[in-house]
Amino acid sequence: MMERAMEQLNVQLNRLTRSLRRARTVELPEDNETAVYTLMPMVMADQHRSVSELLLNSKFDVNYAFGRVKRSLLHIAANCGSVECLVLLLKRGANPNYQDISGCTPLHLAARNGQKKCMGRLLEYNADVNICNNEGLTAIHWLAVNGRTELLHDLVQHVSNVDVEDAMGQTALHVACQNGHKTTVLCLLDSGADINRPNVSGATPLYFACSHGQRDTAQILLSRGSKYLPDKNGVTPLDLCVQGGYGETCEILIQHHGRLFQTLIQMTQNDDIKESMLRQVLEHVSQQSDSHYQRILTSLAEVATTNGHKLLSLSSSYEAQMKSLLRIVRIFCHVFRLGPSSPNNGNDMGYNGNKTARSQVFKPLELLWHSLDEWLVLISTELDRNRNNPSSPSSSSEIASLLLKQREVEHSSSAPKLPSLLDPQIVMETEVYADGEDVISMTANRLSAVIQAFYMCCSCQMPQGSVVSLHLPSVIQNPINTQRMTSPRFIEFVCKHDEVLKCFVTRNPKIIFNHFHFLLECPELMSRFMHIIKGQPFKDRCEWFYEHLLAGQPDSDMVHRPVNENDILLIHRDSIFRSSCEMVSKSTNEKLKQGIAVRFHGEEGMGQGVVREWFDILSNEIINPDYALFTQSADGTTFQPNSNSSVNPDHLNYFRFAGHILGLALYHRQLVNIYFTRSFYKHILGIPVNYQDVSSIDPEYAKNLQWILDNDISDLGLELTFSVETDVFGAMEEVPLKPGGTSILVTQDNKAEYVQLVTELRMTRAIQPQINAFLQGFHTFIPASLIQLFDEYELELLLSGMPEIDVQDWCRNTEYTSGYDPQEPVIQWFWQVVTGLTQEERVLLLQFVTGSSRVPHGGFAYLMGGSGLQKFTVAAVPYTSNLLPTSSTCINMLKLPEYPSQEVLRDRLLVALHCGSYGYTMA
Amino acid sequence: MSETYDFLFKFLVIGSAGTGKSCLLHQFIENKFKQDSNHTIGVEFGSRVVNVGGKTVKLQIWDTAGQERFRSVTRSYYRGAAGALLVYDITSRETYNALTNWLTDARTLASPNIVIILCGNKKDLDADREVTFLEASRFAQENELMFLETSALTGENVEEGFLKCARTILNKIDSGELDPERMGSGIQYGDASLRQLRQPRGTTTQNKQQCNC
Repeated sequence: MMERAMEQLNVQLNRLTRSLRRARTVELPEDNETAVYTLMPMVMADQHRSVSELLLNSKFDVNYAFGRVKRSLLHIAANCGSVECLVLLLKRGANPNYQDISGCTPLHLAARNGQKKCMGRLLEYNADVNICNNEGLTAIHWLAVNGRTELLHDLVQHVSNVDVEDAMGQTALHVACQNGHKTTVLCLLDSGADINRPNVSGATPLYFACSHGQRDTAQILLSRGSKYLPDKNGVTPLDLCVQGGYGETCEILIQHHGRLFQTLIQMTQNDDIKESMLRQVLEHVSQQSDSHYQRILTSLAEVATTNGHKLLSLSSSYEAQMKSLLRIVRIFCHVFRLGPSSPNNGNDMGYNGNKTARSQVFKPLELLWHSLDEWLVLISTELDRNRNNPSSPSSSSEIASLLLKQREVEHSSSAPKLPSLLDPQIVMETEVYADGEDVISMTANRLSAVIQAFYMCCSCQMPQGSVVSLHLPSVIQNPINTQRMTSPRFIEFVCKHDEVLKCFVTRNPKIIFNHFHFLLECPELMSRFMHIIKGQPFKDRCEWFYEHLLAGQPDSDMVHRPVNENDILLIHRDSIFRSSCEMVSKSTNEKLKQGIAVRFHGEEGMGQGVVREWFDILSNEIINPDYALFTQSADGTTFQPNSNSSVNPDHLNYFRFAGHILGLALYHRQLVNIYFTRSFYKHILGIPVNYQDVSSIDPEYAKNLQWILDNDISDLGLELTFSVETDVFGAMEEVPLKPGGTSILVTQDNKAEYVQLVTELRMTRAIQPQINAFLQGFHTFIPASLIQLFDEYELELLLSGMPEIDVQDWCRNTEYTSGYDPQEPVIQWFWQVVTGLTQEERVLLLQFVTGSSRVPHGGFAYLMGGSGLQKFTVAAVPYTSNLLPTSSTCINMLKLPEYPSQEVLRDRLLVALHCGSYGYTMA
Repeated sequence: MSETYDFLFKFLVIGSAGTGKSCLLHQFIENKFKQDSNHTIGVEFGSRVVNVGGKTVKLQIWDTAGQERFRSVTRSYYRGAAGALLVYDITSRETYNALTNWLTDARTLASPNIVIILCGNKKDLDADREVTFLEASRFAQENELMFLETSALTGENVEEGFLKCARTILNKIDSGELDPERMGSGIQYGDASLRQLRQPRGTTTQNKQQCNC
């Protein structure tokens, strides 16, 4: 009894010491579930002695499956590469083919994780290499996925069928190709894998290599004689390469299957393929050699020509063919500009230059240009024929004749001059189309698209000259405007077909925005169409403006999220002007174009609101009188450069910065809180100022100029010469207005010139350096050619936004004259119409009548005229058919004909607003 | 995805105004008669894939306006045509008399090798016939043209006209008389031949060389 107890105690003590010494239990628990969790960590660490010890004398079932995935310890050992434990378990009768819940055997796991030794041992114990898991994957699939070639070598000889398929019909070769494991692919092929085996959807190994752009793998497959097979949906390996933009793989396909080259070229006509991917592929292939380059371009030119011809065939779909043609030509031009891979013959780019190999690629397109030319000649003939055989005016010319009539009755000097769209010649053209109507109307859009393509091809051959826009030192970096010259051939083309092009545009001005983008790049051509462009709705021009401003930029948000902390403009509130100047000049123009991120020093906030606030505060600072950069105009709300700004020695840099900021704001559609004088907006636009603009800085003087113009000065004995006296630091000095001006008398005949010159002196010459500096900054972001799309009123809207107009306040502060009173039906209609106008149209109306888009501070009660307060006034004019409203801006007067109905009133008012509000530019 | 064919042929349909060129094309492509056909403006376009002698051929057909005022425009489409249907109206001697001019145009502007089939259209209007079958076939023989009388209304011989022309071109390709690879031949390979798994010769060795560099 005693002995037994002692013995038991000894055993327990022995266990205890052993346990304590090993820091673990030395006895497995009775139940398998607890036991397995004791063993698992030891197996994972391959502590085979401990495992062996614990298993000795225990009743543990080595095939016990545990956990969510129901694996045995053998799985664990195989998975972790615990080879000693693995052998131990096998020796103790673990089943090498035991499958877990997903059907994986220990061999699968060893293969997946590349446990070479474990795999070897499992094979020794007759593990079945052909077992599939629930997805149909076998050990060789796992090896192939991960490219474990060495292991595959060992395994593959045991495999009964190297082409064993998973549930999707995929073989090891498929997955190896997909993942681009070259040696694995070779090993599988050497082991007899079927190189052309399709999976359930018909995808072959080559298909998989191509779908993932595995060029080396594709190369191996092709050189081993892989067939080029589409899948069951007809998707070919080439399709996949192009969709993925895999240029190198494409190139290899073409090397092996020469005809795919044509297929690739034909794919440019396929709308479903992403242009960027296709371009990427063609770009790559073209760079392989000079002959590739030549061949790609020549073929693209051929396809473009066929597409162009189809576009010119009336039975084709205009939309689809137009898009197709322009896409092909874009790709063509892109590849052409890249140049061949070897630069030796890439120098000659001139169109009319030597017939080098490089310009030969344009040859096929000549057919299309020839057809285009013949078409335009044909249209011109049609126009001539119709002109000689005039028919009744078409409906499209009605509005033109309406406006023409209006011009005859109009005489007020301040009334808007009608756009030159209504040149009698053009109106006549509008009238004669009726007969050739069908041909012209059916082809105009199509021809215009081909013209666009022609322009693209002409201009991509022009050398890309780096035109450094002016000389910009210090504060703001030099903007390098990479501008191309317009191709002489294209200019010649436009001149030749001038009449037809104008006719197209007159009939459908939208063509300008849709196809005649070349106008923006070529001022000499733009000027021909300017009057038509300006006749287009402000909104359309805005869209066009931004479309081109942002062209080539990655989709820019107004505010970008900078990845780089250095890109954030960190601004000190207490020195906002100086710190902004510093920060902006430190950044690059390209970055600023992509987006602006602003953070105020010591503040957390970032984002759109902060950017807006920054522009707001900064624009207020720019006109801060302390900097003496801008002065207030006579009306007290608008600003223009201060002619004495040079008191600040750095003033020109500051003007450049101001221009920079305003350009940047416009670029990112941010509004600034500054209103400039009419004349300064004109300076930004490059429009000449006139004497009326003088009133913004010196209203009395402007009146005197007006008086000179209005009256015969012959007998007044003014004895004026073409010179003025100015006060230069206290000394009177006579400044000639033109060479020898001091001795040229102002007469009745030359007084207009005098007024113009003296206006320029006051308005422009006095602040020329400031204007120039401002424009240098402004043009960094906004090209002069683009801003031209607008007049000074619209520029104000773009820069400073749409003012809110309170119609009730307006109505309350309006006076009536010449027979109108507030009870008149016409007046009632007028206000009903105004209430129904959009905000933009109300601004147009306000501009039309007052010359300003803004309501003064305090509302309409404070509206200023030429000589002090002058309320908005509506005056009656006898109604004759088609008469439009006119205005006298200096007395804020709307001359409203007594229209017979609200509909007519509304109609005529809108015509006047949309056609007339920019008329001042020419007045 | 893209259409499968062995060859693509560029075809022209030429001839005086009102001979029924557009109707022939319409009948060929849509298999029906175009009822209220207007004068063609410039050039129309149609295409159809046909099977000729075991080969699939895509015919890209340019149907030109017959009216004189479009002449310079339509001429600019001639270049690189492989085949042409030269159409006259059997009820109008005037259109028959103009054939020589059309023929010269086609041979000088398209290609001297252009395969032309003469089509005496409006066969259904036999009562108003002004041109006999015999004299037209003599004209065809003298000028080395194939010849058929067709009716776009009933569809008689329309398909045959196009197919005959295509077949002749195929024969010329087989005999080596026409080289599809030559630029401006009006013939292009499709990629159907590829899908029949033909391996281009010599590419393997060539590739190896390129790989080693």
